[in-house]
Amino acid sequence: MAKSRGENGPRSPAAEGSLSGTRESLAPGPDAATADELSSLGSDSEANGFAERRIDKFGFIVGSQGAEGALEEVPLEVLRQRESKWLDMLNNWDKWMAKKHKKIRLRCQKGIPPSLRGRAWQYLSGGKVKLQQNPGKFDELDMSPGDPKWLDVIERDLHRQFPFHEMFVSRGGHGQQDLFRVLKAYTLYRPEEGYCQAQAPIAAVLLMHMPAEQAFWCLVQICEKYLPGYYSEKLEAIQLDGEILFSLLQKVSPVAHKHLSQQKIDPLLYMTEWFMCAFARTLPWSSVLRVWDMFFCEGVKIIFRVGLVLLKHALGSPEKLKACQGQYETIERLRSLSPKIMQEAFLVQEVVELSVTERQIEREHLIQLRRWQETRGELQCHSSPRLHGAKAILEAEPGPWPTLQPSPSIRLPPDAPLSGSKGKSKPSKQVQKEQKEQRKQIKTSGQPDKSTTTSQTKVVAAAGDACLPQDVPPKDPVHQDPAPQDSAPQDPAHHRSQESLASQESEDTYL
Amino acid sequence: MGNRSEEDYNFVFKVVLIGESGVGKTNLLSRFTRNEFSHDSRTTIGVEFSTRTVMLGTAAVKAQIWDTAGLERYRAITSAYYRGAVGALLVFDLTKHQTYAVVERWLKELYDHAEATIVVMLVGNKSDLSQAREVPTDEARMFAENNGLLFLETSALDSTNVELAFETVLKEIFAKVSKQRQNSTRTNAITLGSAQAGQEPGPGEKRACCISL
Repeated sequence: MAKSRGENGPRSPAAEGSLSGTRESLAPGPDAATADELSSLGSDSEANGFAERRIDKFGFIVGSQGAEGALEEVPLEVLRQRESKWLDMLNNWDKWMAKKHKKIRLRCQKGIPPSLRGRAWQYLSGGKVKLQQNPGKFDELDMSPGDPKWLDVIERDLHRQFPFHEMFVSRGGHGQQDLFRVLKAYTLYRPEEGYCQAQAPIAAVLLMHMPAEQAFWCLVQICEKYLPGYYSEKLEAIQLDGEILFSLLQKVSPVAHKHLSQQKIDPLLYMTEWFMCAFARTLPWSSVLRVWDMFFCEGVKIIFRVGLVLLKHALGSPEKLKACQGQYETIERLRSLSPKIMQEAFLVQEVVELSVTERQIEREHLIQLRRWQETRGELQCHSSPRLHGAKAILEAEPGPWPTLQPSPSIRLPPDAPLSGSKGKSKPSKQVQKEQKEQRKQIKTSGQPDKSTTTSQTKVVAAAGDACLPQDVPPKDPVHQDPAPQDSAPQDPAHHRSQESLASQESEDTYL
Repeated sequence: MGNRSEEDYNFVFKVVLIGESGVGKTNLLSRFTRNEFSHDSRTTIGVEFSTRTVMLGTAAVKAQIWDTAGLERYRAITSAYYRGAVGALLVFDLTKHQTYAVVERWLKELYDHAEATIVVMLVGNKSDLSQAREVPTDEARMFAENNGLLFLETSALDSTNVELAFETVLKEIFAKVSKQRQNSTRTNAITLGSAQAGQEPGPGEKRACCISL
């Protein structure tokens, strides 16, 4: 992993000064003496010779992530062109989401340019909207004292997330501090949820790409929209998803399914960390980022697909099962997956091609839910139904939707007019009432109600069938167009916006 | 206690590590199975495990040590974790009284999910931090005695008593299992069924007494 000179890769946070290639990398592994000295001497990693370690382009100490195969490097011109397109998308987000969502999805599948990843994740997840709707909220939470019970546990976890990442290696350093702030804020924001340990790695990944306040709102979106109930008391959602995963496996890889059945291996024994951390602790880092790019766009089905691909390739043939004769050996195999099947290009390809849809997941969800109710009674924690990706999240927002303010980090040419900003308008009383009714409906029925809003259903159904390479009819009769945004045309030379929004854009298969 | 090749063993004993988050379960595991320790070993989410094969007398025993998240809400998903366990190390941090105060709750959790005959050792970890001690040895030892638990204080950091703790539990399990040996000569994973009347202590009876330091 010698590409630490910032050729194509992103500048990881605080990378300045720590990119040096002078010395041999990692000190001998977790070794009592070294670890002791490092930790007990205090938090400043540079004082302990950390600056002499080599850092890879993601911020990890070289060697700490395990051997990565030949890195996939996107050619520089392609990267620049992608960046340009993404800039355009981000600056005209509502239009793109409304009319060109398929293109967004395709580009997420190709991988978001590292320099724009943090921003893109905020847009995709709706974290940006949340932030705009709640100005000052994070600061308020940040300044409030937290519940000591949660703070105690959080503090114990701060130095246990990605300790080989330069951002989190220093005890009491900025990374750990921000991690604390974000996790604490969540326990205050949702006191009934409190803190669940798997939220720490999630928050840490977010913090590697954006500041604390933004990371907080993305975390909120993940916990409430993408993976509701995953981090709640009772962990019921993850148990259900384990059953769904196992059930879906039957079609995807009957061999693997049969083996796991015969060995009586509970899904929770292998999928818990996978799902709760969205594979952040399982895959090589470049693969994690690609999965997250798709996950933010398309929702939990990506997580299911990754799980299914891994299971299929780890256990999917008699050949592979030869070394997995027992329960223990099987679980071991699933915990030390072959680098080949986790490698970025391979994995992404498999995930994109696996035809597991939201509809199938939701259908299986109902089946498992019914089974749960029969054998274990009612669910104790009712989470809202999950939203399957960026489009669903956007459309679930009570309208009219606020115009997204472009981030100040993008500098337009001095004569380019800025998009008009609409003030935040509260949804009308009627809409609020309707939503209240719908939420009540969901609560009492206790099931992910498919008919929450008709548009939502349509979106779920439409998006669910939108597996490449089929075309989804873009027109949804119930779909409401956002209030026309007053987005002034950008300087064409800078952003090529006229071109991109032209209706007859051909599929850019390469870029 | 010698080591044998991983391939060659007569018994597999599943032992679970339980206790509050942060008490040192993961490091006890890594110290015992790989002789490793890390201040920053990552938070356990889901299930981790490791094995080590040891000699007990002439028998090769593969200890399968399971480790999981200690945080309260993870208890909702632990029944698979306990299944088939014949031994347990109930770990607390002797520098944090709170982690000791909840030991009874953990015991209850254990007996709710595991077989009543499971061998249990109460482990006070982090004995290297002697100045920060919050749980007196005698107090914990007394509790263990009263509840039929083995007891030791350990330090995963400097290795004190780690081998001894696991060895003691495994020997205890082995002793129970030896009584069944005539009935079963095949290599298999052992569970201590309560069907062996008169050979294992029933739920009301006292277990083997604790081992003092």
